Amino acid sequence: MNTDDLIAQLAQDPAPAPSARVEARLWPWLTGGLALTAAAFALLLGPRPDLAAALAQPVVAAKTLLPLLLAALALPLALRAVRPGARPGWLARALWALPLAVVALIVLAWLGTPASERMRLFIGHSIHVCLPAITLLSLPPLAGLIAALKRGAPVHPTGAGALAGLAAAGLATALYSTFCIEDSPLFYGVWYSLGIGIATGIGALAGRRWLRW
Amino acid sequence: MTDRNQLWGDLLRRGTRGDAAAYGRFLTEAVPVLRNIARARLPGGNAEELEDVVQEVLMAVHAKRHTWREGDPVTPWLYAIARYKCADAARRRLGRGGQGADVPIDDLAEILPDEAGGEITAARDLGRLLDRIEPRAAEIVRGLGIQGESAAEVGARLGMTEGAVRVAYHRAMQKLRDMAEDDMAAGHAVGEVERPGQIKGAGDEPGPTGRRAEAADG
Repeated sequence: MNTDDLIAQLAQDPAPAPSARVEARLWPWLTGGLALTAAAFALLLGPRPDLAAALAQPVVAAKTLLPLLLAALALPLALRAVRPGARPGWLARALWALPLAVVALIVLAWLGTPASERMRLFIGHSIHVCLPAITLLSLPPLAGLIAALKRGAPVHPTGAGALAGLAAAGLATALYSTFCIEDSPLFYGVWYSLGIGIATGIGALAGRRWLRW
Repeated sequence: MTDRNQLWGDLLRRGTRGDAAAYGRFLTEAVPVLRNIARARLPGGNAEELEDVVQEVLMAVHAKRHTWREGDPVTPWLYAIARYKCADAARRRLGRGGQGADVPIDDLAEILPDEAGGEITAARDLGRLLDRIEPRAAEIVRGLGIQGESAAEVGARLGMTEGAVRVAYHRAMQKLRDMAEDDMAAGHAVGEVERPGQIKGAGDEPGPTGRRAEAADG
């Protein structure tokens, strides 16, 4: 077809549908995914009995707050990633502060823990719950995010998927952390991060598969 | 640049609010820029390929026009889409196994060797093989390869240009060699008569090269 004819054809339909916007899709899909995750969490895990008291300790609160912060940064970044030409800006730099904070927490805990205790706290007793739980709880919000981001136009589909994975994993991990009673950063700093990494990898693969356009 | 962003921003804003004329003008003005990007990103692409990519970019811009937010500069958005679609096209190119663009075989007509006197298996096999290819291609092979006519003479007889004759001859020889090899591999299990139009090698040559070469015969 001639390019001028194509333009004439496209110009017959100048205004995009309001429902086409990514944000219009985002909240229903994301909350849908989160509802599924919350239901699974309530059925299978549930919050620890001493949650309120535990959260009063900063080191314990960090294991819930850091993943929440991760989601709060990764979500807008994922939305930017599906807008061509949009710059990640300071949000991307702020995101790097999180791994630094986690490393700092691990180092401090290492220094503050008697040598004989370090290994026991690091291995803990629930890796076999922690890793699958974080990964699986991440999947519903990740699916919701990918479905919403499909409306966008990511110029790096893999990266956009990874950001969606980070955001979903942040939310899932924050929820999971209210169940988990392993409160040393030697445990959660390592194993939560690994779980988040797995979910991010799944997000990247999903992005490469489903976010192309 | 700023002027362009202002103008295009204005046109696109009016466009996404339903002004078809403004939207059409935005797309029209974008086309030369998109052509430049496509040319830079797909080195060696011929005009047809580049125009295909430009049209793909236009359709992508249209399909994703809701991802532009009023107030954002238009050019980074537009160029990002163009680069993405060009990268896509470049990947497809690699996927087709060509390191460059398809070269229509007509363009090669002048540099293809005049294969008169080319080697072929024994003459009795040749006669048998010739019955299995298109009559016209067989006529060209007989003229050039057996009777020793020049491409120009055969062309004059069949009403084809010299280049088209060479192309057709080259392709026919290729086909014959393939058929000869296949027969050899099959231990001369000939017998099975292929229907015209189902000649081995004619149907399974993919890509525009094949189509264009057939156009050259006609």
